[in-house]
Formats: sequence, C-alpha cells, structure tokens
Amino acid sequence: MTETRDTNIHFHAELEALEHKVLSMVDRAEQMVEMAVQSVTTGDQETATKVIHLDDEMDKTYFGVHRDWTNLMARQQPLGPDLRKMTVLLTLNSTFERMGDQCVNIAKIAQFNEGLPSVERINDQVREMKDLVRPMIRTAIEAYVRQDLDEARLLPAMDQPVDRLNANMYKETVAVASNPQLLEWAAKMLMVSRALERIGDQAVDFAEQTAYLLTGERAEFDEEGMAGSADGEN
Amino acid sequence: MTNETQETLDLTEQEGSEATSPTTEAPAAEQMGSNGLAPGVIETKNMDVFYGDFKAVHDVSLKFQFNEISALIGPSGCGKSTVLRSLNRMNDLIPTARTTGEVMYHGANIYADGVDPVAVRRQIGMVFQKPNPFPKTIYQNILWGAKINGFKGSKSEADDLVENALQQAAIWDEVKDKLQESGLSLSGGQQQRLCIARAIATQPDVVLMDEPCSSLDPIATLRIEELMLELKKRYSIIIVTHNMQQAARVSDRTAFFNVELNTKGQRTGELIEFSPTDQLFTSPKEKATEDYITGRFG
Repeated sequence: MTETRDTNIHFHAELEALEHKVLSMVDRAEQMVEMAVQSVTTGDQETATKVIHLDDEMDKTYFGVHRDWTNLMARQQPLGPDLRKMTVLLTLNSTFERMGDQCVNIAKIAQFNEGLPSVERINDQVREMKDLVRPMIRTAIEAYVRQDLDEARLLPAMDQPVDRLNANMYKETVAVASNPQLLEWAAKMLMVSRALERIGDQAVDFAEQTAYLLTGERAEFDEEGMAGSADGEN
Repeated sequence: MTNETQETLDLTEQEGSEATSPTTEAPAAEQMGSNGLAPGVIETKNMDVFYGDFKAVHDVSLKFQFNEISALIGPSGCGKSTVLRSLNRMNDLIPTARTTGEVMYHGANIYADGVDPVAVRRQIGMVFQKPNPFPKTIYQNILWGAKINGFKGSKSEADDLVENALQQAAIWDEVKDKLQESGLSLSGGQQQRLCIARAIATQPDVVLMDEPCSSLDPIATLRIEELMLELKKRYSIIIVTHNMQQAARVSDRTAFFNVELNTKGQRTGELIEFSPTDQLFTSPKEKATEDYITGRFG
C-alpha cells in the first residue's frame, strides 16, 4: 500500500474545529469550579456573579456546538471512528454544559449565604473536594487529548475520595444543627458538596466517553476503571 | 424463520428439459452451524479470479447467509464486481477470465465439471448498474426469464407470473395499465425495478446487484433500497455499491475489499473484513477498513 492520505480533509478540519469548541467548554468549566468554590467559601459576590456570566457564555457555546454538529452530521454522514467522535462530542457537549450549571448552583448559594455565619471546617472540606475534582477534570482532558486509555481509567479511583467527603458532609451539617442560622448556611453547603460530587461523576463520564472513542465499546467503568456493565443491547 | 434452502440442486446441462425451479424447505436443524447460523446460501472458498495472467482477486473466502443483504464495498479496482460476477459465473462470458478455488451454492461447487453456467444464472439472478430492459413490452420482459426457465404455462398462468413478479418488485401499480408498452418507455428507476422483476421471475433464491442505483436519482434509489429490504424476506441479496451510506442503510453484513500492489506493480483485490454492517461502520476490526470509511486512503 502507498502512504495513507486524507481524502476527506475538509470534513476532518471541521470535526477538529468542533472538537476544540467542545474542549474549550471543559476548560472553562474547570475554571468555573475554582471560582465558584472561592465565592461560596469566602462570600466573594463579585466572583459569584462572574461564574453566572461565564455560564451564559457556556450556554452559547453549547447551542453553537449543537448547530455545528447537526450541520456536520447532515452534510457528511461520518462513519467508523469519525462517527464515534461525533457521538462522543455530542455527549460531552451536554456533560460540560451540566458541569457549568453545577458551578452556577454553587455561585447562587454564595449569593444566598451572604451575611450568614459559617464554619471554617466545612469550608475547608468543600475546598478539599474542589482540590480533588479539578485534577479529575484535568486528567480526563489529558486522557482525551493524548488518547490515553490507561489515564482515562484512573478517574473512578480519583472519584472515590470525593464521594467519601460528600457522604461526610451530612454529618458536618448535623453537627451544627443546634444553631438555626448555621444550619441554614450548612444545609446550603450540603448542596455545594452534592454539586461538586456530581462534577466528579461528570469527569468520570468524560473518561468513559474517551474509552468508547478509543475502543468502540460502550461500558461504564467499575471502581478500577475497567469496563463494567455495558449499556444498550438486551 | 423464513429461511429457505434447497435440498438438492441440479445445475447440470439439461437439454430440452424443463429447468427446475427451486424446491424449497426450511433448513434442517443438523444443517445449522455451531454458531446457530444457517449454512450460507453461497460460500466462496479461497477463490482467486484471473484475467489472463493477471490475478484480479486473491484468496476470497466469504459466506453469504439466507435472507440477508450483503454489501461488497471498496475502492475502484478492488475486485468487488469481479467477486460478484464470479458468484453466478457471469465472468465466464469474458474469454480470459478464470476462477480457482470453490464457489459453493447450497453445498455444490458451481465451477465443478459438468455444471451448466446458464443453469447457475437461472438460480442466481443478476441486476446490473445500468437498467437494461429488452426493447420489448413490459409483459414480455418479465415472461422472457420464465420462458428461458422452461415455463410453458397457460395465458392466465403467464399473466399471474408477470403480475406476481411486478408486484414483488413494487412496480405493478405503475405499469399494470401499460403492460404492452415498451419497457424502454419507463423512467430509469422504473426500468431498474422492471429488471429486478425480470430477475426474480426466474424464481432464483439469490439476487446479485451490481451498483443497481448508480444511475438513479435519490428518490428512485430509496425505492430500490426499500424494495431490497422487502425482497430479502424471500431472497438473499448481494450488492456491490460505491455508496457507503447505501451499504450502511440496507445491508446486514458488509465485506470490505482493498487493493494490494504486488511486486510487479499489479493491483490485486483482497478481502479485508466481512462483518455485521453496524459493527463495520462504527467499530471496524481492521485499520484498512477504518481508513477507507473515514476517507483516509492510500
């Protein structure tokens, strides 16, 4: 065989542009996680507002990706790994948009909690969850970009401490229940914890999409990052 | 299960005798393979096809199943049409063509000594790229194949046969009031459906189609594709197509052929992959298939 050449170069350029647009959303989501947690743990209202505005931009990108995706699919009807990438990009578009929504939820709690007393131990735990979740997003991005299945499989293990901290947050909330104002604040922080836990799950979903892209097999990861239960058939 | 097979086939020369129409019955349980699939209706085993000294196709082993549509795809010159034409000995019409290996049809090698190629073609019909109705009436176009097959029925039996074939080819409603008009008076898409009706009037159980939609507009193409999906309930269909989306839309299994350059610089076609269509077009097993369906091709 002679050297392989790309006879579908225009489509692949458009697919790459679409991919960059989708990945720009997760970059933004990672930034929003940092900002949202800063706003909710420090009461920084200006940052909370910025997060909400960033999500407006995120929503515009989401709709733009949908439009471009539909056009590309209608015009090109891709097959094989190109088809897999198209389905993965559509899924990731929704996943990243929801990550943005979770950050908005956190930022709105920052607005709600303004003026309420707080407990530093709970703030620390939320920051700790953020410090676990951001590297999960970063690792998932790198696994996708490097097409590294082993790296993608790290995500479930990285998610376990996030889940444990989220489970612990309930106890922390109960511990301050005797003070009505603190309870009001802590109940909202329980929702912040839940939002961060969901973002961690979404990072795992991202890695599962990468695994599908690379292997062609759809399956959820088990705790070791191996293909667990397959969806779909029967 | 609607699978049909013939217990025995007589493909030998039958001078003056009435050609047999397939005696059909369901495949016996013992005929099922270990994978639960019925035995293939046509199976090639290590088939090579030569044109003179030039090997056009190398070592093709394929099994086509009952009541399925199988698509053959690949770049120009990969030998997919050569393979198709080998399945009913149509290549015999090319003086330099030679086929080695085996092509088993219901377990009998159609290239064995004493097998009559014309009898083979009665059992394994063919539809070509360009519609080629005879310059005769629509009625005569259909009856021709049956007469070749030894049909000697009454006028009303002939009428029934013509109507049945045209009904199956989904063109009856369009032509029933002009059966005595020339087949050439029809549109391209109608002519192709007429040719399909003509092919099935001989009661084959396999229909080969060589790019049957390449000269048709998108609507006529969709009608042929719908027809193929309907016909597969009664026939096995093997189609060569350049249109990957068409293969993806209609076929159950797809064979991808590629071109290999030999040391003499000759281009020989090779079978790369034969997989369920949904698998081949989403997660092909072979890199060469992946490159072809994504437009990355040497």
